[in-house]
Amino acid sequence: MKKSTLFLIPLFIFMGIAGFLYQGLFSDPRDRESTLISQPMPEFLLPDLMNTDVQYTQEVFLGKVTLLNVWGVWCVTCAIEIPYLMQLQREGKHIVGLYYDQDIDPDFGVKTVQRVQQEVRDKLAQLGNPYAYNIFDVKRDLSLDLGVSGAPETYLIDQNGTILLHHIGDLNPRVWEKKFAALYQELVKGS
Amino acid sequence: MKLTVIWLAICLSALAYGITEDKFQFEDPEQTKLFLELTKELRCPKCQNQNIADSDAMIAVDLKRKVHQLVQQGNDKEQVVDFMKQRYGDFVYYQPPVNSMTIWLWLIPLLFILGTLTWIVRSRKVPPQQEDSDRLKQAEDILERDE
Amino acid sequence: MLAELGNFALVIALMLAVLLSIYPMWGAYRDHDKMMAMAKPLAIGMFLFTAFSYFCLTYAFVTDDFSLAYVANTSSMSLPIYYKYTGVWGGHEGSFLLWVLIFSLWTVAVAIFSKGIPTKMVARVLAILGAVGIGFYLFMLVTSNPFDRLLPFYPIDGKDLNPLLQDFGMIIHPPMLYMGYVGFSVAFAFAIAALISGKLDSTWARWSRPWTIAAWAFLTLGLALGSWWAYYELGWGGWWFWDPSENAAFMPWLAGTALMHSLAVTEKRKVFKSWTVFLAIAAFSLSLLGTFLIRSGVLVSVHAFASDPGRGLFILGLLVVIIGGSLALYALRASEVKSDGRYQLISREVFLMGNNVFLTAATIVVVLGTLFPLVHKELGMGAISIGAPFFNQMFTYLIVPFVFFMGLGPLSRWKNQSPQALYKQLLIAFGLSLAAALLINMNYSEPSYMAALGLVLSFWVIVTTIMEIHQRITPALSQGMGVVASLQQLTRSHWGMVTGHLGFAVMLIGICLVSAYSVERNVRMAEGDSVNINNYEFVFKGVFAHQGPNYSSDMGKVEVFEDDEFVTTLTAEKRFYPVQRTTMTEAGIDSGFTRDLFMALGEQLKNGDWSIRIYVKPFIDWIWAGAFIMALGGVFSISDRRYRMAKLNKNKGKKHSQGEQPT
Repeated sequence: MKKSTLFLIPLFIFMGIAGFLYQGLFSDPRDRESTLISQPMPEFLLPDLMNTDVQYTQEVFLGKVTLLNVWGVWCVTCAIEIPYLMQLQREGKHIVGLYYDQDIDPDFGVKTVQRVQQEVRDKLAQLGNPYAYNIFDVKRDLSLDLGVSGAPETYLIDQNGTILLHHIGDLNPRVWEKKFAALYQELVKGS
Repeated sequence: MKLTVIWLAICLSALAYGITEDKFQFEDPEQTKLFLELTKELRCPKCQNQNIADSDAMIAVDLKRKVHQLVQQGNDKEQVVDFMKQRYGDFVYYQPPVNSMTIWLWLIPLLFILGTLTWIVRSRKVPPQQEDSDRLKQAEDILERDE
Repeated sequence: MLAELGNFALVIALMLAVLLSIYPMWGAYRDHDKMMAMAKPLAIGMFLFTAFSYFCLTYAFVTDDFSLAYVANTSSMSLPIYYKYTGVWGGHEGSFLLWVLIFSLWTVAVAIFSKGIPTKMVARVLAILGAVGIGFYLFMLVTSNPFDRLLPFYPIDGKDLNPLLQDFGMIIHPPMLYMGYVGFSVAFAFAIAALISGKLDSTWARWSRPWTIAAWAFLTLGLALGSWWAYYELGWGGWWFWDPSENAAFMPWLAGTALMHSLAVTEKRKVFKSWTVFLAIAAFSLSLLGTFLIRSGVLVSVHAFASDPGRGLFILGLLVVIIGGSLALYALRASEVKSDGRYQLISREVFLMGNNVFLTAATIVVVLGTLFPLVHKELGMGAISIGAPFFNQMFTYLIVPFVFFMGLGPLSRWKNQSPQALYKQLLIAFGLSLAAALLINMNYSEPSYMAALGLVLSFWVIVTTIMEIHQRITPALSQGMGVVASLQQLTRSHWGMVTGHLGFAVMLIGICLVSAYSVERNVRMAEGDSVNINNYEFVFKGVFAHQGPNYSSDMGKVEVFEDDEFVTTLTAEKRFYPVQRTTMTEAGIDSGFTRDLFMALGEQLKNGDWSIRIYVKPFIDWIWAGAFIMALGGVFSISDRRYRMAKLNKNKGKKHSQGEQPT
């Protein structure tokens, strides 16, 4: 290697870095891919939010294309999202809620289920109810298994109970077009 | 930007959630140590840039609870980290995984050190011979006497 | 109205920067004295107009002029008056105004204090600073103007200063940090001027040394203040988080430390010239890179300037022009440089450079660790995190050879050091430091290997430093001089080095003891409950409501007893700032020479208990004390007679035109 080429190395390294920084400007640093894609729904046994006598397992997702929406009444963005979910529901999409409560310390919970149910009823009466039913993630174990880091998040699950998409943040027409629409159409056609 | 505000609101509302750390107790002091180590090295997936030990966001509290449970069940460090990575990806652990790309994190500094040390050693020059400096000294002496 | 004047002043400052970048450079090229003489008044003008602009913004803050978008976003009527002064740099736009103010201040300082330096060199240096200034002023006027108005509809009250910044540490942290960041522009300008003129002898190294040391000392203080602030304000009890915002300042600090030492070698021995020039470019480039990382939002960090791709794009353009341009110039010119000094393998040159290698490797580690997650993701390989485990591991590996060389360097002679003599000294030094480290470590019931290693390293630095002083004064002592007199013989710059190295050792002691022997407890407590840590008993006395000027707070009190004797009452707060709807923690800390008692208030639980963090942190204050001592070393160095030579010469007139003639 000639001596003069040695002195070019810093310049090349810098240009490489600058290229990545340029790309980085146009992508969201918080955006990250989910590890659950193409995985079957994790096992669970959880009650229905409104009727705790009913119990669901992962098998409840078999046979139907489902949008599983993680939400809670305490979540500001969820309230913004629900009107759009209503629209999806009117278009015939099967939306299931995965509800978890923030105030309940799983080990020291003092809030009664009745109170949670009342809050949910009030909220949905106000915004509309897009959910076929809500699974109540009592101790947030299912959320953890699903890699949920907050609300809202939405999963697209196929007829075999396999997770195909995991979206962090709210659903809106733009996100639907970009991430969900094509895949969803394909799934529905296939069935 | 708006999203950031919302995330922030979520994180802040999460502050209202009680942390009862004393329930993270272990019979075995080694497990306590492991728990403290893990909570410092696992990243809160929703926060700006915080480990789960420092964060009071709900997800951090839930992850701490899970780590506590897993450690108590006798899982070792690697098992707990794998459990978290399966759910939250490599992102959740502050030590990067080793792969064909990340190996450069260690290789580049190493190569740099080896390369530059070689350069310094090879580019050294022997100072003038003893005789030279002796002669130089003599010359100086002569000059001095002249003054 | 004043705001418009402030804006206008900025435009004029930009114009002056443009002129400053052209005239003196052209004058130096054409040997035109008058053009070169324009440099000084232009630099002064740039500073004065920037200062006026800064004054205008301060005035807008003090008078609650919420028609300025920036004031409305970063201040409020209820904000205490002293925070209105400091809130000027509480957000992106204002902090950048402070940045350019400090930049113009450095430029003026160079213009005024460069009497002993050839006119051509000064003219080139100032022109380069002017050129860099164009970028800064343009950036502010185009993308981040603090004087933008919210007219015709403006809010009655502002959104308040981020409560995190309503704090003493934050008042002085940014100015110190910027003094350091921007200060490296001077060393950069000297290096580029030397490259342009083709005169890469050791003179530029000598001239830029005091400037580099000054900037380094400020950056050291800025970093220490930031770390101290994070410790007591964020409520987690940590002092360093390897967050991108910290790394952004740490990268130029590491490169600057390397530069400082490399400049010494180049000045004294005329070797490693091209390496030193490279470091001068690197230190300032990393300052700019750090600014980009923080202000563009490309990385997830606890530091939150509102991110905006437009701004990011502008700074990136600036980086490409400034860094890319100077590196291209470097590639063109540096290959012609030949080092003429001679040295052997066992010599001070080699040890200092060895040190430089490890400092630069540390810089590379921080740059890699900070940028790699971004690269990894952009290559489609997924999101990864690089944090404390990685950096701690790498720094543990790097610090051992680093400190080893740090002890060797000062003890050795230039050119050629007899290995036998050195070997004997080192053996003694190693024995002493091992003994000291083991003695201290034995005080702890569960001694840690890492702490032992760290202590050996710290004492290695201390012992070798003392040996070096002894070695230096031995000739004088043998001539019958007293100890004090022979110590006084040593130059200030020598004391600077000694102080700097001892400061580093103090800091290292703090780091390894606090890392190994901190005790942290997170507990839930009801009034009257107590916790025991080491010999301390912490008794929770309950929580009281308190009303501050622009916040309300819960104050938790904990009484501390040591072996049943009352020590102190810790008061920690949870403040709620209604304007920003933000909750902030204020830790309760009792600082001591050997330990800090730390308490932070968590949340109230459903049954009325509180969750509380109680930590005992041994020797943590030594970290910041060490940094302060290091900065003090910088002050000693700058005050050395050599750097005032220019002035002395001038005072003495032309009679002794060659100051350092051998007698």
